Amino acid sequence: MNHDDRLHLFRELATEVVERDFSGVAETTQISELGIDSLGMLEIIGEMERRLKIRLPDESLANVVTVKNLLEVVAEHQQLA
Amino acid sequence: MTHPVTVAPTLTEAVARLADERVLGFTFVKPDGTERHVPFAELGARAARTARALRDRGVARGERVALVLPDGEDFVRAFLGAILAGAVPVPIYPHLSFKNVDGYHDTLAHIANAAGARFAVVSSATRPFVEPVVPRVAGLLGVGEIDALDAEDALWEPADPGDLAFLQFTSGSTSRPKGVRVTHGNLAANSKAFMLEGLRADPARGDKGVSWLPLFHDMGLIGFVIGPLFTRIPVVFLPTASFVRAPRIWLEAISRHRGTITYAPNFAYQLVTKRVKDRDVEGLDLSCLAWAGCGAEPIHARTMRDFTAKLAPAGFQPRAILASYGMAEATLAITFATGGLRTDTVDARTLEAGSAREAEGGDARELVDCGVVFSGHELQIVDPDGRVLGDREVGEIRFRGPSVSSGYHDEPELTTTTFGGGWLRTGDLGYTVGGRLFVCGRIKDIVIVRGRNFYPSDIEWAVGDLPGVRRGNVVAFGVMVDGEEELVVCAEATESDRAILGAAIQRVVTEQFALAVHDVRLVPQGTLPRTSSGKLQRRKARTLYEAGRLVAREKPAMQEEGPPA
Repeated sequence: MNHDDRLHLFRELATEVVERDFSGVAETTQISELGIDSLGMLEIIGEMERRLKIRLPDESLANVVTVKNLLEVVAEHQQLA
Repeated sequence: MTHPVTVAPTLTEAVARLADERVLGFTFVKPDGTERHVPFAELGARAARTARALRDRGVARGERVALVLPDGEDFVRAFLGAILAGAVPVPIYPHLSFKNVDGYHDTLAHIANAAGARFAVVSSATRPFVEPVVPRVAGLLGVGEIDALDAEDALWEPADPGDLAFLQFTSGSTSRPKGVRVTHGNLAANSKAFMLEGLRADPARGDKGVSWLPLFHDMGLIGFVIGPLFTRIPVVFLPTASFVRAPRIWLEAISRHRGTITYAPNFAYQLVTKRVKDRDVEGLDLSCLAWAGCGAEPIHARTMRDFTAKLAPAGFQPRAILASYGMAEATLAITFATGGLRTDTVDARTLEAGSAREAEGGDARELVDCGVVFSGHELQIVDPDGRVLGDREVGEIRFRGPSVSSGYHDEPELTTTTFGGGWLRTGDLGYTVGGRLFVCGRIKDIVIVRGRNFYPSDIEWAVGDLPGVRRGNVVAFGVMVDGEEELVVCAEATESDRAILGAAIQRVVTEQFALAVHDVRLVPQGTLPRTSSGKLQRRKARTLYEAGRLVAREKPAMQEEGPPA
C-alpha cells in the first residue's frame, strides 16, 4: 500500500464515519480544520486499524496535526506489522 | 442467602474490609489487549504504599491532589492512595489528541487553582502536558509520576463520614468548571442506593461490572470503582479510547468475562448500533448481562430499541435496559428505572406550555421513564416560585437526601443558589407520573454532544473572536439530529464575509472544543432575535432555526421560499 492508497482510505473512512463528503481532502489539511470531533477522529482511526490490521498507540498520535502526519504514523506501523 | 444490605460508612473503611479478598478484584485491560487482574487485597495494599509516598512528598491530610492519569490501573492506585493518606483526590481529564493544547493548559490551570491542588500525580505520558502549567498553579508543592510513588511502608489514615472524600469537577468543556464536594458519607449512601437497592448487586451471585467509562467522570469513577469497592463487586475496565475505536470490544469483554453490570451514555449505545457488524454479534453471548444502564445525557427510546434489536441474536435481554437520572451534585444516581425500557408519549404542544398530557395523535414526544428515587431520598417538581407541582406538570427537578453533596468547592454563592434551602436544585426540567420521573431538558441552554457538555456562551465567545464576526452577534444552540444533539452556530455577517466565515467558524470551534459544528448559519445583521435590552435569545433563535426561518434572505433568489410567516 502506497501513500496515495492511504490518503484514499482516509477519505473513504472519514466520509463513511462522519457521513459528510471528504473525498477532496488534501493531505496538508489540518485535522482541526476537518470539522470532525475527537470521538469521530478516534472512530476513523479505529476503522483504519481494523482494515489495515494495525494498532496505533495513543502516544503515536500525540503530535499529529495534519492528515499527512496521521498517514505517516499509519505507514510507520504498517512497516512494523 | 439474602443479598447484602449495608455498606461501610467510609470509602477508607470499605477498602480496609477488602483486605482479605485475594480472588475478586479489578481487571484492567490495556490498550494492547493484555489484561492485568489485581485482587482487592493487593489493590488496597498498593494504595496504602502510594499513600505513604504522597505523605513523604509533603501531602498532608485534607490537601488536594490532582490526578492526570489515563490508565485505569494507575488512576485507581493514585485515587485510593490519596484517599488512604486522608488527602482529597481531584481527577482531571487527560489531554485529547487533535485538540488545541493551549485550551487544555487553561482548563488544567483553572481546575488545579480552583481545587487548591498541593500535588499532581501524572504518568510519563501526561507529564509533558502538565509541566507547562506548574508555574501557573500557586501552592503546588510538586509533580510526581505514579510509578515513582511507591513507599516501603503503608499509610492508612482513618476517615469520618463527614470528611471530604474527593472533588468531582463538572464537565471540563466549560470555561469555569466547578468542583463538587463529595464526602465519604455521600459515597457510602449513594453506593448503597445504586449498587444494593438499585442493582441488587451480590458477589455471591457472581455479579461483575464491565466498563470503558473514563474514571475522571462520576459515572465511571463512582459507578465502577467506588460503588463496587463498597460492595465487593469485581469489575473489568477497558480503555475509553479502545472502545471508541472499536465498540465491539465492550461487548466482547461482557461476553468473555460474563459481565452482569454495564453502563454508558446514550451515544455509546448508538455507536454500537452504528458500528458493530452483525457478524461480530453472532459469536457473542450477552445473556449474562443483567443491567445495561443508560444515563448522563438525554436517553432516547429509539437508541435503546435499536441496541436491543441489534444484540438480540447474542441473547441480550430487553429487561436489562436500565434508564436512570443523576448528576455529580447528587454524588451520582438519583433515580433508576429497573425492569426494562418504558416510555411516555406526550403531546408536544402542551409539553412546550408546561403540561405533559398524553398524546392523542398530532405532534408527540416520547420520553423515557427514568424511574424512582432510592429509599431515604426525596424528589419534587417545583415551579419557579418553589411551589410543588402535581403529576404531569413540568417544572424544575429538585432532590434531597444523604447522596446530596456538600456543595461546590470554594464557591459560596453558587453553593447557596444550587444547594440552599435543603434541596438540590438540579437545573433540569421534568415531570412525574405516580412518582416516576421523566426528564424534559435543561433549564439553562447547555448543549450536550456525545456525552460532553458545552455552554453556548463559551462557543459564542470563541466565534466572536473571528474577524468579520462581531461579539454579541453570535448565537449557539443544540438541535436534535437523528436522535443526537448537535451544535448549530448562527452569526450575523456581511454578505462579502460569509463565503469564508463558514469554514473559519467550523475551524475555531473544532480547535477550541474538539467539537464539530453541525450547521453554520450566516445571516444579515439584525436578523437574530434579541430582547428589548439587546440580549440575544438563544431559545428563540433555535425555534426560528428549526422552523427554517433563520436564513440569509438578501438575494432575490432566496425570496422564492416565501416571506416569514
